Amino acid sequence: MSKPNDLVQGTLDLLLLKILALAPLHGWAISLRLKSISGDVLQVSEGSLYPALHKLEQEGWITAEWKQTENNRRAKFYSLTRLGRKQLESEAANWQRLSSAISHVVRLEEA
Amino acid sequence: MGPQHWLYTIPLRLRSVFLSRRVERELDEELQFHLERKIEEGIAKGLSPKEARYAAMRAMDGLEQRKEAMRDMRRIHWLTDFLDDARFAIRSLSRTPGLTAFVVITLALGIGMTSGTFSMVDALIFKPYPVPHPSGVATLVSTTHDSSFDDFSYREYLDIRDKTKSYDGVIANADMEAVGFSAEPRAASRVRGGMMVSGNYFHVLGVEPQLGRGFREDEDQVPGRNAVVVLGPDFWKHEFASDPSVVGRTVRLNGKDFTVIGVAPETFPGMLIFGHPDFYMPLAMSRVFSTKPQKNFFEDRDDRELHLRARLKQGTTLQQAQNELAMLAQNFEREYPKVNRGRGAAVHTQFEMRTRTDDVNWKFGVIFVTLALAVLLVACTNVAGLLLSRARARTREIAVRLAIGAGRFRLIRLLLTESLILASLGGLAGIAIGYGIVEWFQSFQNVIFMTDLPFSIPFQMDTRVLLASLALSALSALLCGLEPALQSTRTDLVNGLKSADVDVPGRKRLWGRNVLVVAQVSASLMLLTASFLMVRGFQHSLLEGTGFAKDHLLMVGFDPRLVQYNTAQTQQFYKLLAERVREAPGVQSEALTQNIPLGDDYFDGIGFVPEAFQMPRDRENFNAMMDTVNEGYFETMGIPILHGRGFLASDTAEAPRVAVVNEQFAKHYWPREDAVGRHIRLDSAAGTPVEIVGVVRTIKYQFTAEKPMDFVYMPLAQHPIARMTLMLRSGGDALQLVPSVKEVVRTLDPNLPMLETRAYEDFYLNKAVEGPRIAMKLVGSMGVVGLLLAIAGLYGLVAYNVSRRTREIGIRMALGAASSDVLRLVMGKGLVLVGVGTVVGLVMGFAVEQLMNSMLFNAGGVDLVAYVIVVPSLFLVTMLAAYVPARRASRIAPTQALRYE
Repeated sequence: MSKPNDLVQGTLDLLLLKILALAPLHGWAISLRLKSISGDVLQVSEGSLYPALHKLEQEGWITAEWKQTENNRRAKFYSLTRLGRKQLESEAANWQRLSSAISHVVRLEEA
Repeated sequence: MGPQHWLYTIPLRLRSVFLSRRVERELDEELQFHLERKIEEGIAKGLSPKEARYAAMRAMDGLEQRKEAMRDMRRIHWLTDFLDDARFAIRSLSRTPGLTAFVVITLALGIGMTSGTFSMVDALIFKPYPVPHPSGVATLVSTTHDSSFDDFSYREYLDIRDKTKSYDGVIANADMEAVGFSAEPRAASRVRGGMMVSGNYFHVLGVEPQLGRGFREDEDQVPGRNAVVVLGPDFWKHEFASDPSVVGRTVRLNGKDFTVIGVAPETFPGMLIFGHPDFYMPLAMSRVFSTKPQKNFFEDRDDRELHLRARLKQGTTLQQAQNELAMLAQNFEREYPKVNRGRGAAVHTQFEMRTRTDDVNWKFGVIFVTLALAVLLVACTNVAGLLLSRARARTREIAVRLAIGAGRFRLIRLLLTESLILASLGGLAGIAIGYGIVEWFQSFQNVIFMTDLPFSIPFQMDTRVLLASLALSALSALLCGLEPALQSTRTDLVNGLKSADVDVPGRKRLWGRNVLVVAQVSASLMLLTASFLMVRGFQHSLLEGTGFAKDHLLMVGFDPRLVQYNTAQTQQFYKLLAERVREAPGVQSEALTQNIPLGDDYFDGIGFVPEAFQMPRDRENFNAMMDTVNEGYFETMGIPILHGRGFLASDTAEAPRVAVVNEQFAKHYWPREDAVGRHIRLDSAAGTPVEIVGVVRTIKYQFTAEKPMDFVYMPLAQHPIARMTLMLRSGGDALQLVPSVKEVVRTLDPNLPMLETRAYEDFYLNKAVEGPRIAMKLVGSMGVVGLLLAIAGLYGLVAYNVSRRTREIGIRMALGAASSDVLRLVMGKGLVLVGVGTVVGLVMGFAVEQLMNSMLFNAGGVDLVAYVIVVPSLFLVTMLAAYVPARRASRIAPTQALRYE
């Protein structure tokens, strides 16, 4: 299993949930969206994207549906479930807490 | 993770398992889609299609690895792995069908015996009351010096019901009694089982009638006012063909009209273990059903006929209820010292009531289950031994697996899966055997309950027993599979790969195997001892005899209450009956008795104070069992009168009160003097004096295996009883007297039914001989199965040891060892093991004997004969099991042995 080693553990889930909360997307579109919104700061290997999506699906947080794309290809579209929305809320809150705590620590000045 | 989470994920997991192809295809398609987009993107950037494809693949870090990672995400590999293991295990087991069959049969015997007997213990001890929230129902008992489980009187019941605060309701019921029933006023009445209950009975228990209604509380307030009856579900089905219009109909009970108001639900066969009342009547109707004309049910505080149960309030502990009731009992003692001195009260759970010390049924059950578990233990050790040998033979296979990288845990799982499959097969077959045992129990229905009342054997193969059997199967899989799995995966790789079976026997490894042999020998010795003791215990009690003559006796029951006789009419009827049957052709002598010896009903108790006997300060009186009989009883039953006289026609109601006691009683209270001429006072020191006019031989009263007990006889004329049994001694076949008895009864009252008409000997054989014989058969077959399994196991282990050492034996013989040396070598260890097993088994046997003696038999000492027979024969048989393979080993030609493998 490959880990998104360039991301803080667990944040990939949060990113994916957040992206899917905005609109249902297929895997390719998610990978494009990831790149564009994080401005290449967050590197997610395409390899680790699909296992992560599968995990979220198995947890019941996102659900998948086969649909036609705009250029008429069949693709697997993921969308957030009710459970996923709750998960997103709690993970986002966690992230807020964690990041503010860490920035607080980082801003400490040596006495 | 809440249940909501599972709601989402379980279908997904199931989909991954059952639609795995489709899931795989979708996985491919999804990744393919991504790759194509990526390639398009590459081409758009100016790469050649080939380069673009290569770049896309590289970005994925390997397509197959991704797929595997995604499969892992589905979290079902444990399941698919298990299915793979199971498939593999089934394949490898079917390669050795003989071994597999032997293992399955062995386990089936162990599991089957256990689940069969567990059905018994479950019904006798564990099964909850058939009511909602059964654990809240407690039982209230009255306690005295002689009984910790006495009943309450009606007055006491009312006080407890009204003055306690721990309960949501207190209910009372009398024993199930024979009641004369007829569906039509004109039809002849038949005997059915009815139970008097308090008006709140169904309400407090939470039982909703399936038809009509239960009793209202006001229907149980005024004596004799509300003649209403609720039918039991089975009775409604059989007697009324489930006719719903039965509600509102009038039926006759003991000659009085009752209105049917409801039918109890299918789920409520009653609160008793064995009996299922045909109908329920309110306590207020007790005059119609009372068995004790001397007592006033509604007033006498010492007419204790009621069993009390109560539903504990939410949040009230048993201890609180107990304290409250104890206080109340102290108040009773203060207020009514005459009838309540030395009398306490206690609250018990259902479990406590079912495991009460004065009940033998559950003890039998526990003994059976313990023995069955011993059989299961032998079976498991047997199988463990076999699997161990099998695993040894697979050393190379396992070494190869380990060498090419299989994890040890993974291999242990594979081996455990194998034993789990064996155990499941064994469990299934075992359930079939258990079912057979339960059916076998059921087939004795009419033997054990030779009565007109609705009793049945409650042992069933229900879900509870099934679950227990499955749990047992899983447990035995672990028991017999874990050790072999652990051992065989601990293989030394280098040696393991070199040879199929090179064993470098560590001390530990041998130790495990030796323990197996010792466990088998000792467990089967214990089993054999137990079954032998049981057989001999019963034989002993049968040989000892009952103390009276059982042959050529006819028994016929009468209950004149069924035709509404009052006490005087009843007395007159019995007087005339005795006089007239005595004259009937073929009748040698005649007797009337309240209870027949060794019958299904318990004898009444009697409280008394013996004359010139120093009473302990804290007791009001002593208690003994009693029977009410007429003048002909001792002669007819062949019970010798040792001193004094029996009852005479002159012992009338007007004459001074007299009694006859048994030898045990006489010796107990007047060890050095003659009891004849002494007096006892009834109930208390101020009670009616009764002169003892005779001492008779002590007989068996309730069970053939009982200890000698104190017993008092009262003459019928002075102690009137409504329901009596006529006993007739004939010169020939007892049943030939039936027509003449019928004729006599017809001339007295053509409406009076004759109950339980049987040859006493038939009854005795069924009840006292056939019942124990069933138990003996069960225990005996357990002993035999245990022994057979132990023999097979021992043989297998020794044979295996021999085959493993074949090369060593070859070398020894090549170097000049004689075959007798080899025999000694191989046998020596077997001897030691059997010896140790025998010693351990003897200790266990003694323990079991102590237990059985304390529970069942009166034989105090150690039954040496049992050991003299069991120990040497077990030793011989087990030695033979070791000898056969050892002998074979000693005959191996050295050349052949050296070439072995």
